[in-house]
Amino acid sequence: MATAVQTQELSPIRRIRDIPKEEYYVPGHRTCAGCGPALQYKLVAKAAGPNTIFIGPTGCMYVANSSYLCTPYAVPWIHAQITNGGAVASGIEAAYQVLIRKGKWEGKLPNVICMAGDGGSIDIGLQAMSAMMYRGHDALFICYDNEAYANTGIQTSPTTPYGGNTTFTPPGEMIPEGKKTFPKDPPQLVIGGHPAVKYVATASIAYPVDLMNKVRKGLNYKAPSFLHIHAPCPKGWKFPEDKTVEIAKLAVQTGMFVIYEWENGEYKYQHKPKEYKPVAEYMKLMGRFAHLKPEHIQKMQAFIDARLKAPGMPVEIPIPPPRAEA
Amino acid sequence: MPKEAMISGCAASAQAAKLAKVEVICSYPIRPYTAVMMELSKMVANGELDAEFIHGEGEQAQLSVMYGASAAGARTFTGSSGVGVTYAYEVYSPIAGARLPVQMMIADRTLDPPGDFGSEHTDAFCARDMGWIMGWAEDPQEAFDNHLINYRVGEDPRIYLPQFVCQDGYFVSHIPGKVVLPDQKQVDEFLPPLKMDHRLDPKKPISHGPQIRPDQGDALELARAMAMSEVPKVVMEAIDDFGRIFGRKYSPFVEEYMLDDADMAIFIMGAHAGTARTAIQKMRKQGVKIGMAKLRFVRPWPTEAVAAALSKVKAVGVVETQTSYGGATQGGGLMFEVCTSLYDLPKRPLVTSFMAGLGGEVVKIEEFEYIAKHLAKAIKDGKVCKRVHWLGFEPE
Amino acid sequence: MYLIPEHKRVPFAGCTPAPVKEQRMMITGNWRTYRPVIDREECNLCMNCVAYCPDACWQLSQDEQEVVWNSEYCKGCLICVNECTHGALTKAHELDFEDGVVRLEKPF
Repeated sequence: MATAVQTQELSPIRRIRDIPKEEYYVPGHRTCAGCGPALQYKLVAKAAGPNTIFIGPTGCMYVANSSYLCTPYAVPWIHAQITNGGAVASGIEAAYQVLIRKGKWEGKLPNVICMAGDGGSIDIGLQAMSAMMYRGHDALFICYDNEAYANTGIQTSPTTPYGGNTTFTPPGEMIPEGKKTFPKDPPQLVIGGHPAVKYVATASIAYPVDLMNKVRKGLNYKAPSFLHIHAPCPKGWKFPEDKTVEIAKLAVQTGMFVIYEWENGEYKYQHKPKEYKPVAEYMKLMGRFAHLKPEHIQKMQAFIDARLKAPGMPVEIPIPPPRAEA
Repeated sequence: MPKEAMISGCAASAQAAKLAKVEVICSYPIRPYTAVMMELSKMVANGELDAEFIHGEGEQAQLSVMYGASAAGARTFTGSSGVGVTYAYEVYSPIAGARLPVQMMIADRTLDPPGDFGSEHTDAFCARDMGWIMGWAEDPQEAFDNHLINYRVGEDPRIYLPQFVCQDGYFVSHIPGKVVLPDQKQVDEFLPPLKMDHRLDPKKPISHGPQIRPDQGDALELARAMAMSEVPKVVMEAIDDFGRIFGRKYSPFVEEYMLDDADMAIFIMGAHAGTARTAIQKMRKQGVKIGMAKLRFVRPWPTEAVAAALSKVKAVGVVETQTSYGGATQGGGLMFEVCTSLYDLPKRPLVTSFMAGLGGEVVKIEEFEYIAKHLAKAIKDGKVCKRVHWLGFEPE
Repeated sequence: MYLIPEHKRVPFAGCTPAPVKEQRMMITGNWRTYRPVIDREECNLCMNCVAYCPDACWQLSQDEQEVVWNSEYCKGCLICVNECTHGALTKAHELDFEDGVVRLEKPF
């Protein structure tokens, strides 16, 4: 007689005062001071609670967190290759389905959360992530986006912004902007193409309550969910480490990062600015854009403006026209 | 009641996985192993087997899914062939080092380039350094039996190592042979359920695989080597139990066939050992004193058993159905380990290599007669005429 | 057959026990050159410091009347100072304090 697999139902958090006290990503990790990804990890772990298994593909949130032979995860956690986070998460989820069904493990289906960087989500990890979304595993895939391969010393990834100075996209006479390509859009890669997915959302460390609620919402769905979390990196983006949250807020205020949910085919926005600030205000605070000329900033502004107008993302408030100079 | 069936190696492997009550399976199609997964998917669909059947997005994904599922404590089964085996390579060491007893069926296949569906041992052989248990079957019955034996050994708490259970593509995977299928009670007696302390369980949280410093790496690798060195003892226990429960008694590591009074030996593994057997019977009738040492486990390599078998003869022909281009013999890789096994013997037989069946080419009885002729000449001359022969391409 | 020296003992399969409240093997308090200082009069318990610390070094006290600082692990990033809504947090030189700089017995 098969045992029915029961899942957890995590309730929403109303305000910052109600944030649960228990830490499941505890003090004692070798991440940089002011690390954006570490902050989101703490918030995600808090939202998920103790009945959770994390999968950690190689990246900053693997190497920096687990150096050396010690981790800050108070819940079970396993290393995965940077290539296969989605696949390892799928295996763990499937194992628990059958173990519970056969009565070999008692309890509600653990939260299975793959915590992958931008590279491990939509570059080298894209295939595994997409397959997990396609197969319908009851698991959450989080792309913590610090817009580079940070752990290996800041190299460009498909989410590095246009003009981003990285060690693979240095500016020079031949390539004055440094990085010529515009970034992939992780949630858009998932939305619409994976019928089993009911919930895709973006979040930022700037808005912790929103972030945690989206984690819970994604976990509550008995389906694969995808979260794209903006997590600024002081070292990679070259800004002072106390400005991490400030930079994250400015990203949202300039339209460089948009906070929304896509749920059962419908878009809903959160923390939408009444008026968008020019991208130059955001870019000037980071050393990775210091080499850019006005024409590059304009290109960035035009890209952001167009993206805000993209199908499925109606913008009600007028966007400021591209400015002539930074 | 055990029942007899006339089934292919692929079907036999599927039956073994079913009787082993595997819990998480991950598929991806590639010839010639695909039939295992087709059989298993039917069993899952009609309720014969209660398992999660996951459609992997590729072979590397298959092994990655296995890594996760095994770490969660489920009994896992996957498989592949040829370039699928090499595509999954990234995950072999992580699985073995994490001490996850994943089982992978390999119906071996020649590696690209170009596409060649024929059997060759190179695909699996490439991964022999990754710390998995590895061995070949000669026919569907042995393939079936090896799956159960490998689960028993790999999941033993003294071991916890993954296993490559290999069979020749087409020759074993597709040609039907007689297989005695035991009943579930016999299998349950032989194979206890999987128990792992180092599994991912929210009730007992662990951190599985944190980053280490270089000065911590050697200790972990020594532990892996030591685990592998424990395998032979556990294999012998398993083989004993197997014989008692199922009635089929295997030599654990090296099967010695007509070797006791032989002058020369064929050293071989896999499907072509069947042809060798017939050839040896034929040659024996003609008075040729030839025997065979058939290797069942490539990893752990049974050095003592190989030395014991081959020290009985004056000349050995190592039949190789894999390549190691540029290697010490300009032939295959089996030869290296045979020679190493014989190195410390006070009196070593002559050894020469015969590349046979590459690309999936058939190996005929005449080829073994050719080998015997060369070994006889070597014994007479007191030396081999050359280190490696490529059968079918030799001048005389 | 082999002798494994004490300092080379590694856990089975590289699996370590999960920490409970903190990871004692990675104490990071000695990283900081500045530390946040709280003026309890100004603090209105907005909880920004608690929410925004990547190292969970600000926690609401048991009686929920104040926020408590973890000096053993605080890296001195000063995000909390930057995000404090009421100016209750300011930064100060670590070496100005008697207990300044957590000293480890040996490097990592």
